[in-house]
Parts: sequence; structure tokens; C-alpha cells
Amino acid sequence: MKRRDFLRTSALAGAALTLDFKGLSAALMNNTMAVEAVPDMVAVMGGEPAAMLDKALEALGSIGQYVKKGQKVVIKPNIGWDRTPELAGNTNPELVAALVRKCLEAGAEKVTVFDHTCDNWQKCYETSGIEKAAKAAGAIVMPANDEKYYQSVSIPNGKNLKSAKIHEALVEADVWINVPILKNHGGAKLTCAMKNYMGIVWDRRFFHQHDLQQCIADICTWEKKPVLNVVDAYRILFQNGPQGRNASDVATLKSLIVSPNIVAIDTAALALFNQVKKLDLAAASHIGKGEALHLGTTDLKTLNIKRIKL
Amino acid sequence: MNIWKGVRVCLALLFFIPIALFFVDFTGTLPDQLHVLLHAQVMPALLGGFWAIILLHLALTLLVGRLYCSTVCPAGVLQDIINRIYCIGKTKKKGARRFAYHKPMNALRYVLLALTALSALAGVMNLYLLLDPYSHFGRIATNLLRPLVMLTNNGAAHLLMEMDNYTLYQVTVSTVTRAGFVSGLIALLLFVGLSVWRGRLFCNTLCPVGSLLSLFSRYALFRPAIDAESCVHCGLCEQACKAEAIDSKGIKIDTSRCVDCFNCILACHTGSIQFRFAPLKKKAEQVNEEAKPDASRRTFLATSGILAGTLPAIAQGRRTRKRLRQGQDPTHWPPVTPPGSLSLERFKDLCTGCHVCVTQCPSQVLRPAGLQYGFDYLLKPYMSYENSYCNYECTVCADVCPAHALKPLTKEEKTTTQIGVAHFFIERCIVYTEGNDCGACSEHCPTQAVRMVPYQGTLTIPEVNPDLCVGCGGCESICPVRPVRAILIKPNEVHKRVEKPKEEEVKDIEVTDFGF
Repeated sequence: MKRRDFLRTSALAGAALTLDFKGLSAALMNNTMAVEAVPDMVAVMGGEPAAMLDKALEALGSIGQYVKKGQKVVIKPNIGWDRTPELAGNTNPELVAALVRKCLEAGAEKVTVFDHTCDNWQKCYETSGIEKAAKAAGAIVMPANDEKYYQSVSIPNGKNLKSAKIHEALVEADVWINVPILKNHGGAKLTCAMKNYMGIVWDRRFFHQHDLQQCIADICTWEKKPVLNVVDAYRILFQNGPQGRNASDVATLKSLIVSPNIVAIDTAALALFNQVKKLDLAAASHIGKGEALHLGTTDLKTLNIKRIKL
Repeated sequence: MNIWKGVRVCLALLFFIPIALFFVDFTGTLPDQLHVLLHAQVMPALLGGFWAIILLHLALTLLVGRLYCSTVCPAGVLQDIINRIYCIGKTKKKGARRFAYHKPMNALRYVLLALTALSALAGVMNLYLLLDPYSHFGRIATNLLRPLVMLTNNGAAHLLMEMDNYTLYQVTVSTVTRAGFVSGLIALLLFVGLSVWRGRLFCNTLCPVGSLLSLFSRYALFRPAIDAESCVHCGLCEQACKAEAIDSKGIKIDTSRCVDCFNCILACHTGSIQFRFAPLKKKAEQVNEEAKPDASRRTFLATSGILAGTLPAIAQGRRTRKRLRQGQDPTHWPPVTPPGSLSLERFKDLCTGCHVCVTQCPSQVLRPAGLQYGFDYLLKPYMSYENSYCNYECTVCADVCPAHALKPLTKEEKTTTQIGVAHFFIERCIVYTEGNDCGACSEHCPTQAVRMVPYQGTLTIPEVNPDLCVGCGGCESICPVRPVRAILIKPNEVHKRVEKPKEEEVKDIEVTDFGF
């Protein structure tokens, strides 16, 4: 290289560097602000439940996009079992509490938390730590142990399930947020966002009698869909679910996935589950059946997913 | 008010109110420890072999008479309450002073006492179950009072719900069986009828506890005694005595029937009756001896005859049950007995059917039996897996049983006690008949004794490992198949021990990538 060339190149490069750096970053800044759309899904890993929720909602804009001032909000965790948070039988209580606070900050008139439990409801509410945490955060924790709390609704788009009795808090709510925990499940193979719907209905025996997997997809077609699904994968139950026996069934992934798309989030959750234990999408067939009912897509490549590691 | 009556009423309320609340408390707010009050009951203590309690009661009775019947015994206090309600708005003549002296029915009461003792020892028939006053009270409280309170709660909960208040919540009355309801109703009618008609007639004829204590109270050192010098023979004490034990003409009080209510002291205008140290003298005892007219012998013969007549029928019932038990047909299986009962036979011999376990079970899985398991299991609680199951680590029923018919279990013992074993009937299973996923049974199994194993394609089907099954009924209660479920708990007539599921090593699982 000639010295002249060298000097010229260096000068240009130097100039370009100084100039372009500002310009590029400015352009990038502009582009970020103007072009980047709200992601279809946000996945966060490596933090505590409340911190991960913060990051995820930040990436989605804010909770205010989903919960408006004066609205009645229902947060529906999984509180199915008389299990402590460490045993991953129920949604993480810290996550539920954080979400309650977010909704109240957004101006929600009231936030109601309930689940139709499998074990004795009072024991579940207590042992899971959810009742205490949610109440402390300002939520109303409602019982769901009696048929009187449920109202009949029509499920016109269901294949096998044409109507169901749904908890009245949800029937009366303006918006709801579905907050499942990711678990293995002896019957449905995987329990996550779609399977969590079984805690809003009274008569679950019908589900088991008329093709469990189909009925799970059917109930998800109910007209009032969650504005967000928040999958708790802080701890997951990777075997012997949905109840689990002991700590050897639990893996701590410190993860959280948030999306309004219920089929996509279950597909993503299944992929995360597969990091610990193998499970085919075909086996958890309610996810595919949900896609067939146009509830969302299992093709994650078509989605804008934001992945955050803390 | 006389000081003695004041003491009696206070003691009565101190026992009755907590016991009654314990039975109707469907919220589990009251501490389980309240069951210590039930241990003071004579019949359960006798069956459970708590001799210290029995000796204490006998000593107290020897000292002050049958104060037990007016304070500790909830059935006695209940009769006093019924009597009080009956007297509302009535003249004294028709109300509080409607009683008159009757001779004791010694033959009847002591034959019943002897038969109760004999039948309990021989394990032939649970006569004590039909006569024990505490258990009668328990059945009233469990099957009548408690559902009434629960339904009232539901009404109030509904009103509060309108205000977004969920302090009260809806509850389901599921443990009241037909047999339980009828038993409560019979007990209540018995108490209302007899106490309105003739005061403490139940306590002085049918009640084996009253009869037992009467053997001691007739020698009580302290007793209500009439001062013959100052007595004006007005008869007020006799009319006020609900035990119908005061003979005002003969100036005698039959302390074998006196329940220490002290109403006579209050009724006496001249202050001639006092509760004082007055050991039995020879002369007084003759009153009791005289009080054995021919009528008593007739009663004795009739009672014995009736009882002797029923014994073979009952024995017959037992034989039938033995035969049924050998069958493989689930409808002929004996009852699943609660954890802590150790065995069917032991439980049958000890349970008085007071239903306190039924009221305390948080899962509401215990139900009083009718005649479906034979006469000798009548009104005893069985595990009903119709829509509930036994909580894996819960030990409440055994903790509260006053007769230790359910022996208290530690959490460790409870989780390793096998009260029955799940039996799977594949030909009825949804996975087999419909080719669909289900797994409800395995989902509810706390030990994974019922687990899902590969079947066809992605389908999985239940498989039972009897060595892990505790018989909690989680699987049976949730199985969606009707009319007969695909998984049923076959009882262990003698409870067994099982190993706890082996704790797998907790592996460190590290995941650094989402996988999508």
C-alpha cells in the first residue's frame, strides 16, 4: 500500500468512524423507535419472577396496553394442588403478586384471583402462598369451590364442548390474564396456558369423558380470551405432573414467557420443556387442535419473538 | 340464684358451647385441640380404655353425685335446653314444675347397662352405639345442626358476595347421608319427646352412662338433702325435679337418679333442701330396695326377651357380611375404614358413631353408613370416594376420635398406611373404550402408585403399583367413567404398611437456552 493511500484511507476511516458512529447510532435509535413492532412473544430467562415480568412487559410496551383504567381484571393462576411453591405444583406466588400490582398500577378497578382447585381449595390457596401474596398485593381472592360461583356460557366454536359453566368473576371481568405454570401432565401430557383454562370451568368430568385434548382446545375458543398469557417457568415440573411427588420432579429454569397468542406460547413452552425432558408436540395434541380452531400458530418462525437474558 | 345451680349452669355452658361449636364448625377455624373436651365423655373413654378418666368420673360421682349428667354430657345439657325452651310462655305448673315422683325403673336400666357391657365385651352388637348419649348428641349436631348452620352461611355468603366480600364462602353439604339424617332426627325426637314428657327419663332408663354413674351416685357423699324438721311438705321440690327422683311425701331424694341440677334447692321456699355432706345411712338405702315393684320385673323380662330376640338376627347379619366379603364384585366389598382404624373388626368394636370425624374431615370424605355394610357397621363412618378423597398428609379424623377407634397417626404413619388398594378395570377406561387421553386418576395420585404408561401411539394408560398405593381414593373420586368407575379402591380389612415412594436424587438441571 502506498503511503498516500494509507494516509487517505486512515483519514477517511477516522472520519467515517467519528461521523458514522453518531449517525449510525442515531439512525438505529430512530429505527428502534419508529420501526420495531411490539413483539408477538417475549421470553425472559435468568431473573426473579417479578424482575422478569418487568422486563417482559417493558418489551411489550407496558401493562397499560392490556389493562385500562377502571377495568375489572381477573388473574387466573394455577392453584390446583396442596403444594408449596418449591414443588412447582402451582403458579409462582411472587409472579402472581407482581402481576396484581401491575394491574392495579394501570388503574384496574379490581383484580380478582381464583382457581377451581383439585385438592381441597383452602389448603391449595394457603399452601401455594398465592392467597397471601395476592391479597397483600391488593387482589380479591375469590373461592371457586362451589357450583354456585359458576355461570353457564355458550362455546359456539367448540367441537365437542358446546357450553360450559365458567366462574362468574371471569364472566363479569373486562379483561383477564392467564398465568399458568409449565408442567408435565399425566393426561394432557403438558399443562400450560391452554390447559390452565380447566380451572375456570366447573364440570371437568365432561372434558375427560368427551376427549380431554379436544375439550381443552374447545374451551379456549370461548369469546372472552385472555389479553395476555404469562407462563411461569421459574420452576417447572418435568415429570410426575401435574401434582409431582417431590423436589426431584422439579427443574429451576428461572424463565418467563409472555404472549397474547395462546397456541404459540404453549408451543414455545413445550420447546423450553424439551430442554429438560423430551415431549412431542403431537403428544400434547390440544395444542395442534387449538391451531386447527384458529387460536394461534405453532409455527414460531413466523412470529416476532424477543428473547431476553438477565 | 343458688350458688350450686350457678356453678352447674356455668360448667354446663363451658362444656356444651365449645363442643357444639366444634361439631358445627365447617370452616376449620376452631383448633383441633378442642377434641380434649370429647375425651371427657364416659362412653368413648370406656371403649378407648382411658381408665384414668373413668376413675376420675367415678370418684367425682361418689363425691358429689351425677353432676356429669348436667354438665359434661352434651346430651344432658341439650335436654335441659329443650326443657327450657318448652317452658317458655308456660305457667310454672305446666312448665318448670310439671314433674311428679316416679319409682325408678331399675330393672330396665340395669339390664340395659349389663347388656351394653356384655355386647361390647363380646363384640356381638353395638348396643352402646344406640344408647350412648354423647354419640346421640354428635349425630344431632352433625346431621341436623351443622347442615342448618351451613345453609344459613350460604345465604349470608351470597349477600356478602354482592358486596365483593368473600369472608364467607359457599359450602356444600355433602356428608349428611340418609342414615345419618334419620339417626339425628330419631335422637332429637327421642330427647324432645322424653324430656318434655318426663324430664330426664332417657338418662334414668336408657342411658348406660347414667345407669353406670347411678351405681356410684347413690352413695354420693354430698347430695341435695331434705331437712325433715323444717320441711312443710308443699311438694314444690318434687314438681321441680326433672329426674322425678324426689318423693316429697316420704321426704326422700333418690340420688341414683338425681342429676345435680339443684332446681329443687331453688324451688324450696323454706330452705329445707340443701346440697350438703350427707353420706348414705342404712335407712335411706331401703328406699331404693323398696322401689322394686313387680312392674319392674315385668319390664325386666320384656326387655330381656326383646333383646334376646334381636341378637340372632344381628348375628345373622354378620354371617351374611362375611360371605359377601369373599366376593370379587366391588358392590359387595366391605367399607374402606378411615386411617387409624387399623382394621375393620377393631373399628366396628370401638366406634360409637358420634360422627365427630365426619365433621372435622377437611376433605369431607367420611360419611355415616346406612345398612349397606350390614347392621354392625350402621352409622359408622366409611370413606366415600364418590366425589372426594383422603388428603395424603391429613391426620385430623384420628386426632379427634375420642374413643381412639381411630388411633392417632403421625404424618409419617399416615402416609405409609394402606387402607385399601386401587383396582384398575381396563375394559371401562376411557383410554381403552374411546381411544382418548384422560389420566385423571394418575393426576390425583399423591404417590404415583397410579401412573400413566405408554399405550397406543401417543396415548398413555393407567397402571397401578399396589406397593405404593395408600388407598386415598384420589383416583376413584375423579374417574370420569359412569355408572361404574374404571378404578376402585378395594379395602384392606386389616390396614397394611407401605413404603414411601423413593425420593429420587435431586439433579442439578441447568438450562441456558430457551429451545425456541
